[in-house]
Formats: sequence, structure tokens, C-alpha cells
Amino acid sequence: MDYFVVSLLNGVIYGLLLFMVSAGLTLIFGMMGILNFAHASFYMLGAYFAYALQPYLGFWLSVVVATALVGLVGVVAERYFLRPVHKYGHAHELLLTFGLSFIIAEFVKLFFGNFPVNYRIPASLSFSAFQIGPSTYPFYRLLIGAVALAMFVVIYLLLTRTRVGIIVRAAIHRPAMVEALGHNVPVVFMVVFGVGAALAGLAGAVAGAFYTTNPNMAIELGVMVFVVVVIGGLGSLEGALLASLLIGLITSFSIGVDYSMASLLALVGLGDWAREVGGLLTLKLSSLSGTIPYALMLVILLVRPYGLLGEKE
Amino acid sequence: MANRAIFKPLMLCAALSVACGMASAEPLKIAIVETLSGPQASTGLMYRDATRYAVERLNAQGGWGGEPIKLLQYDSQGTPAGAAEKLKAAIADGAQMVVQGASSAVAGQLSEDIRKYDIRNPGKEVLFLNVGAEAMELTGSKCNFHAFRFAGNSDISVKALVRAMKSANTLGTKVYSINQNYSWGVDMQHAIERDAAEGNYKVVGETLHDVNKIQDFSPYVQKIIASGAETVITGNWSNDLLLLMKAAKAGGLKARFATTFLDQPGNLANAGHVALGAYVVHPFDAEANGGAGVSMADEFKAKVGHYPVYVEPQTLFGIEMVGAALKKVAPENGKLNVNKLAVQIEQTKLDTPMGAWTMRAADHQVLLPMVVSEVSTGAKFKVDGTDMGFKPVKLLAASEAEAPVQSTCKMRRPS
Amino acid sequence: MDSRIILGAIIVLALVLAPAVLSPALVNAGIQMLIASLFACAFSLLCGQAGMLSFGHSAFFGVGAFATVHAMNAVGGAGLLPTPFMPLVGAVTGLLVGLVAGWFATKRTGVYFAMITLAIGELLYSLAPHLGGWFGGEAGVSTMRMPAFGLSFGSNVQVYYLTLAWVLLCLGLLYLFTRTPLGRVALGLRENTRRLRFLGYNVHMASVLVFAVSTMFAGVAGALQAINIESANYVLFNLDLSAEVLLNSYIGGVTFFLGPAIGAALMTFFGYVVSDLTTSWLLYKGLLFVAVMLFVPRGIAGLVQTVAASVRRCGFGALAASFVLHGVAAALLACGTVFSVEMLQRIFSQDYLSLARLGGKAWPAISLFGESWRPLAAATWLVPLVLFAIGLLVLREAMRRWRAAIEAATRGSDEANDPAVASGAST
Repeated sequence: MDYFVVSLLNGVIYGLLLFMVSAGLTLIFGMMGILNFAHASFYMLGAYFAYALQPYLGFWLSVVVATALVGLVGVVAERYFLRPVHKYGHAHELLLTFGLSFIIAEFVKLFFGNFPVNYRIPASLSFSAFQIGPSTYPFYRLLIGAVALAMFVVIYLLLTRTRVGIIVRAAIHRPAMVEALGHNVPVVFMVVFGVGAALAGLAGAVAGAFYTTNPNMAIELGVMVFVVVVIGGLGSLEGALLASLLIGLITSFSIGVDYSMASLLALVGLGDWAREVGGLLTLKLSSLSGTIPYALMLVILLVRPYGLLGEKE
Repeated sequence: MANRAIFKPLMLCAALSVACGMASAEPLKIAIVETLSGPQASTGLMYRDATRYAVERLNAQGGWGGEPIKLLQYDSQGTPAGAAEKLKAAIADGAQMVVQGASSAVAGQLSEDIRKYDIRNPGKEVLFLNVGAEAMELTGSKCNFHAFRFAGNSDISVKALVRAMKSANTLGTKVYSINQNYSWGVDMQHAIERDAAEGNYKVVGETLHDVNKIQDFSPYVQKIIASGAETVITGNWSNDLLLLMKAAKAGGLKARFATTFLDQPGNLANAGHVALGAYVVHPFDAEANGGAGVSMADEFKAKVGHYPVYVEPQTLFGIEMVGAALKKVAPENGKLNVNKLAVQIEQTKLDTPMGAWTMRAADHQVLLPMVVSEVSTGAKFKVDGTDMGFKPVKLLAASEAEAPVQSTCKMRRPS
Repeated sequence: MDSRIILGAIIVLALVLAPAVLSPALVNAGIQMLIASLFACAFSLLCGQAGMLSFGHSAFFGVGAFATVHAMNAVGGAGLLPTPFMPLVGAVTGLLVGLVAGWFATKRTGVYFAMITLAIGELLYSLAPHLGGWFGGEAGVSTMRMPAFGLSFGSNVQVYYLTLAWVLLCLGLLYLFTRTPLGRVALGLRENTRRLRFLGYNVHMASVLVFAVSTMFAGVAGALQAINIESANYVLFNLDLSAEVLLNSYIGGVTFFLGPAIGAALMTFFGYVVSDLTTSWLLYKGLLFVAVMLFVPRGIAGLVQTVAASVRRCGFGALAASFVLHGVAAALLACGTVFSVEMLQRIFSQDYLSLARLGGKAWPAISLFGESWRPLAAATWLVPLVLFAIGLLVLREAMRRWRAAIEAATRGSDEANDPAVASGAST
């Protein structure tokens, strides 16, 4: 029972972390049709900026400033790199973001070295929240989850209850019309890109202290974020939340499952045969926990390509 | 950058030797084919810098055959295919020895490629000096007369850990094995199972997890807590080790960690006081053996900027051992007879500050003393800018740490 | 048309004679460049001609490589086929796997298609290390080339000629494919699938077939790689390799048939040479890629075509000065970038930082390019700034001259064609 509760909590919070990063990505895709490969790099930049600022500004202020800085980087990237190639088509923009992710990772290695850096949770925040059975649950983890939830609420309210939000949502569906109505759509794009990047930066600044901050952060998280966005539905914020929670829970629970196809077949008496065949049939689910999200993405793409909560174009 | 500086003299040498026909001894060329860029570059660069330092020391003692030894460097980009390509370039540039250590996959590729090259080109053989790849098969099914391993392996590491912790009474009777799901981790798991009788412990749980993909180790920590283990033995490295230890602290796991790679730079700084009390097994600790290694460490720091840690000491000792063997092999027609050098390496005994290093002829695995240290604030040499360091608990001589020759090794010796 | 055939013949002759004049290291690089070119052309069949951007093409390259390695190890090491025919194994495997994967992937289009290919690639990458029997764990599967037809295939030169023969054959076949009806339909897939449907074509089957042809040649490239390095490792399935072929194709220019081959050859050579000169070479690669994407969107082949067209229009003499200035500007900007990056890399390296901390206020000088530079001196940083400034000025001048030459030619040709219209018509 304890194991179940802890796995549930961990899965939810890991999912919320994925959501923080993928929220920006799905908004950017929904609005501009660009699959931004550099998004996970913004996550990494947030962590590194916060690490660099921490000795001077303290933890909370450096998180805020790091978020703003990453947002600025996003704005610059959109204005000077993406906008000029907009006319060459989506493939071009995608490749450019890919090149950007390359460059950002290399610059990080240039300035901060190849090894993980010492970005740590401040002592005031590293205590345990409560006991579950023999183990404790750290407070900082709950903090990550709280920040993600707060972020979701704020963005949702912004998008649905404010004038700016209406313009942004309209620009997602009918940018030409919005421009005809007199709004400056390129600026809207730029701001959305910047905000999306800032969200990823916030996720990095907050999570980098708990997980490790190293130059491979972007690669580690990168593909998973795409999986989340695709499963949830490109352009749908609620879809991203649902998909991230789903992936988080699946990853968390599958680690504890030591069964394989062979054990399933053993129930019908074919266990020994399966074990002899070997290969895929004897692979334990726990060893495959990293593979399951991709399989899920494949299934969704084949069955329901616009995602769980996406809209049919 | 080093390559640029020696490119001109190299070209000049080549031109001159062609012009003069048969000159004096050709300078010996050692190539390092390592991961110098990309995600795993951090370790590769350490190997490169340590090798460079060691070769410079050999040159300060006179080089070989009256000429300084030339170090050529090649970036394998971390993949076996890249390493295979750069190996060809190194051989084309005249290298007679290839140094590598950062990845067992790359080491396997290089070892096999060198074996095939040596079969196809008798008289122009090349040696493979493995200064860090610890997969068992490199001195097992892939053992090769022209390949030498100058590092420990999973059998040696686990044996040393178990013996040292048992004598310090910190092992307990319940051990959990958590490792990465590839050859290294599987080798570690086997070694942990095998030493259970001697260590007088029971393996209460085993886990093999995806390499470098898991961000959240708390489910594994849950399993470890549920098993009631008193010690956790793990061969994890890099993120996998750090995240595991952080998750252990967050989850309130009280067991002691016994690791092989905790001394990787950045680990202690990142882990913080979580790491206190954890054990690590490594070939060198400046404080061990009555501080015998301090002067060597100070010399290294003066030139390079930091104390030798992690993979650097074994690289230094390995190259030094080859250097000692080189002193006993004279140039033949101005060139190095690689087969003679190989035989000489087998007979070399190197006295290091930790004890004697010898090369076992049966499988070309070096027999080396191992130090088991504990992370403590009482250590003399602090690491990573923290207040912690590795305080030696026990120094095991080579004979105490050695593991037997694997039955899969069938080495073919040239007649 | 004639000049292109002559040019092609010269290039082929140069490739055939290369091992006689080049050093063995460059011959090795040549083998890698040939394989990368074939892979890029195969990829661009799908991406450039059929308009289906695939992120998992390395899966088929890898599958071809593994199948070939197993075929080479078969029959007790003697090999299923004589060594020169081994790439057929790669072709067949690439074709079969491509048919299956393509059938699923081409059910969707655009971004979703790309995501499916990404998923397939990543799935294979995560599963491969667990399936040791087929993929050999992280050490991979190794093999040895067997002699055939009197050749030992022990030396690199023979491998080079084998690779060259197969690459030329496959490039020829790919070109002929573009001339077949299916090849033409592929262009239709890119332009307007709805119209194709109305014309009566089964768009899904056409996509699958084009996909399979592309993966077949990718499998051949993988097989050539397996023959070259005599091993195959599961890291071939990594996203990196798929990304690299994508980069190469677009740098070369996907709208031209040989564009990707040029891009792949150049980038492979770049990596080969620069990776041993500096550890920041990946940064240069990324900067180069972004620069090409921003300023030369149709790739290098596109650039060559534009330049050739301009030369035809204006005559070489008018543009010569501009060429030289462009080259000078590129060199200056490149030098400035390299200097800055190398200096920064050295200043921020861990060892230098610790030495600097030990030294207190006086930061030790750094030696670079044979000179000693003090990092805190303004003069040190003036060098790249000056290089950048002059480079940009020269570039502006070069572009101004270019535009002037084109305008003069346009005016000249208009006047020549119809003096009456010339005054009224302006571009």
C-alpha cells in the first residue's frame, strides 16, 4: 500500500514536471506549427541560469530572474532566427530549432564544463514533508508539483479569461483573420514563443536543483516531451496535462513490475516455451519502462493522430 | 589543440625520414582515440589529459630510442563506428599503440579491429592499451595478445569492496544489488552474487535499470527499503549514481552505499552530505599507504591544475608501466618491435605508491592494488570544493584483490 | 546537359584515381563520405522529392548494417554471399523492413508522419540493447571480411573501390528511379496528394513504395558501413544519426538530386578534419548549420545554381570582384568566430579557472595559434571584434557589388532585347 501511494505521488509529480516543459511546446506548435526542438534546451538554460545566479541572488530570486532570462532568449530566437525562415516552410523552421538546440547545448558545455554542476536545493527547503511507512517524502518534490499546478492555473486563466488570451487563442486558429482585424500577429507569436520558453526555463530552474544539472539535460528530457505533446494533442494545453500525468504514472508504476510476457504466458501453461524463445518475451516490464512511452505514442499516432484531447483539423 | 602543435614537427619528421632514407630511431607514436566531444566527453577528456601528462613525463626521462614519444589524439565522438574510423587514421599516421578507456563498447570495437589488423598485417602490429574500460569480456572472450587492460574490472572491484567492508564491519548481512542494464551492470551483478559466500551476506534484491534514462529513482529506493538491505552495492556512474543517491536521501533510505564510481568529478559536490558514509573502490587515494601518493599527486596538480582523481591515476600508472617496458626494448632498424614490447610488458613490475602493478600473461589483465575509501569530512584531500573527501579504509594488495582468469579467454600468442 | 555529363565524368574519374594520390587517412575519410552521400540521397528521395520528413531513417541504416553483419558471420564465418555482393543483403532487409514500417507510417502525413518515424526509431533504439541475440548488446556484433574473387579485402583501398562501385551504382539507380512513373508520382506526393487521388492513384500504396525504395538504399548504405568497419552496434539507431542525415541533406539542398550527396560529403569531411583539431567542433558544426539555414536556404547546391545562373547572366568578369570579396568576408568572419570560441573555451575550462583562482588578480596568459594572449587585456578581445567588423563591412561591399552587377546585366539585356520597352519596364 505504501509502495502504491509513493509511486502514485512520484508519478504525478514527474508528470507535472513534464507538463511544465511541454505546456510551452504544445502552445508554440498549436500557434505557429513549429515543432520546437530547442524547447528542452530552454529547460536546460533555466537550470544553468539559476545555478549561475544563485550565489548572488539567493534561490527564489534567481529562479525568477532565470525564468525571465530564458524568456528573453526565446524572444530573441523567434525574432532573429525563426522569423526569417518562416517563409521557407515548416521543415526549415524545425531544422533551425534543431540547430539552435545543438548550439545551446554546446555553449552550455563551453561555459560550464562537461560535468554536472553543483546546483542544489537550499537547505531551508530540503526537509521531508511526511512519512509513508518506512520512507519519507521530500517537501521539495511537492513544491515542484505545486509550481506546475499553479502555472497551469495561471496559463489557463490567462488564455480563457483575458483579452490577450482571446487574441492568442484566435491567432492559433485563424492568424490571417486576426491580423486583418488589426492585431499585430507577429508580435503575438513572439510573445507566445517567449512565454513558452520562459515556462520551460522555470521548470528547469526549479527541477534542476532536485535532479542533476548537466549538459545532457536537454537530450534526456527532450524526446519524452515530444511524446507527451503528441499523445496529448498538438496545441491542447489540457491534453498536455493529461498526457504528462499518464506518462508519469506509467513510468513510475512500471518500474515496480517485474513480470514479462513469459510470466503472462505461464498463466496458460506456455511459460517454458516462452522462456526458451527468449528475446522480447522474457523482457521484464521494469526494464522496459523507458520504452513504453514510445510504444504508446506509436499507438496513438496510428489510432488517433490528433491526440487524446486534440482537435481534428 | 595538442595535435595542431605537433602537426608541423610531425610532417617535418616524416619528410626528413623519407629524404634521408633510414635515419636514427623513428619517434614512437602513441595515439589516443577517445570521446573528446559530445555527451560523454567529460570522461574522455580526462583520459586524454592524463595520457598527455604521462607521456610528457616519459619524454622528460628521455623518451624512447633517443627520440621523444609523440602523442597523437583522435576524437572518436563516443561511438564504436567513429572509433573504428579514427583507428584507421591513427594507424595510417604511424601510431604503434592506441590508448582508450572511456567506453567498454568502444574498447570492444578497438580491441577487435586491432586484432584483425594485426592478423592482416604481420610485422606492422599495433597494441591496444585499455586504460579504463572495465567490461569483463575484454579480458575474457575478447582477450587478445596485443591488448592490455590497465584498470580494474567488476570482479576485482566487488571483491575489494566486500573484503574491505567486511573487515571494517560495515557490510552487514543483507546486500541489495542495483546496476545498469548493460554488460557492465550485468557483470557487477554476477560479481555481487558470486562473492556472497565469502562476504557472508545474502543478496536480498537485484535490479537492472535502463542506462542514463531514469530521472526518478524513488520507485527503486522504495524497493530497496522494502527489502531491508543494509548495504547497496552499485556500479552506476554519472547521472544514474547521483540521482540514485539523491533519491535515497529523499526517500529516507538508511542503507550504506558501496560504489565503484563515486569519485567522478562533480558527484560529491552535487550529492552533498548525502554521500557521507558511502564507500568507493578505486586504484589510488593520495592519503592511502601512509600518504605515499602525495608527492605524485602534488606534481600532477602543479602541472594540470587538480589532483589526480577517478580515471587519471590508473592511466598514469598504465602508461608508466608501458614506459618501463619500453626502456627494456631497444629499437630494431630504428623501429619498435611491438611483439617484443608486449612480451616485455607481461614481465614488467611497476612500483606505484599504492603497491606493485604486474601484468598477468594469461589474459593481459593488470593485477593491481585497490583502495577502498569512505566519504568523510575527515579526509585530508577535499574534493570538488566541498568539505568532504575520500578517506582510505583499507588498501588491498594486488594478490588480495585479484580475480581469477576467465575460462572464456583463449589467447593466441604469436609463435 | 552536355556540360553536366562532362562534369560528372570528371568527378567519377577523380574518385577512381583518388587512392593513388591521397594519403590512406584521406582514403578512409573518402569511404565515410561516400557512405554518407548514399544515405543522404536515399533520405532525400523520401524527404526532398516525396516531401515526407522522416526522423527515424537511421533505423533502416542500422537494420541494413546488422543484417549484413549477420550474413557475413553466417555459414561459419564464410558469409552468405561473396563479399562484393553483401550490400544486397542490406538492400533486401531495408526494403522489407521499410515496407512494414512505411505501411504504418504513411497512414499519416506531415508532422504526424515525422513523429511516427521518430517513435519507430526510438522504440528500436530502446529495445535493441535488450535483444542481445540480434543486436549484440552494447558491444555490438563484429565480423570479418572474407576474401572473394582473388581479392583479400584486407586493405582499405579495396574497400574504397567496393564502396565507390556500389555508391555509383545506387546513385545511378536512384536517378533512374526519378525518371520512372513512380518517381514522378513521388513528386506529386509532395505537391498535392489530393489531386493525385483524383487522378486515380492509390496514394497510400504509392507512399509505401517510395518509402520502401528510400529505405532499401538506406539499407545498402548501412551494409557498406558494416563492410567497412566490420561491425554493427545498436547506437546506429540513435536519433543523432537520423538528425545528421537530415542536417547533411538540407545543407546540401534537398531540391536537387545530388545536393544531399554534396552536403553529406562536405559535412563528413568537416567533421573528420575539424574533430581532431578542437573539442568545440560540434559548436562550429551547429553554427555552420544555422548559418546555412538562415542565409542559404536552398542549400549549397542551391547556392551553386544561383551563382552559376548569375555568372551566365552577368559574365564572370563583372562578378569576379564580388566573389573575392565574399570569400574574404567569409574567411574574416570565420577567423573571428574561431578565435572567440577557442579563447572562451580555454578561459572557462575547469583547469584554467582553478589556476586563475590560485593566481589571484593576474590571470595567466593563454597560448593560442602560436601566440600568447592575456584574457583580461582589451587588446586580446579587440582582435575578434576587428575581424568581425571588417568582415561585415567587406560582406556589405561584396553584396552591393553583386547587386550592382545583376542590375547592370538586367538593364543591359532589356536594352538589348527591346530598346523601346527597356525604359518603361523595370524589375
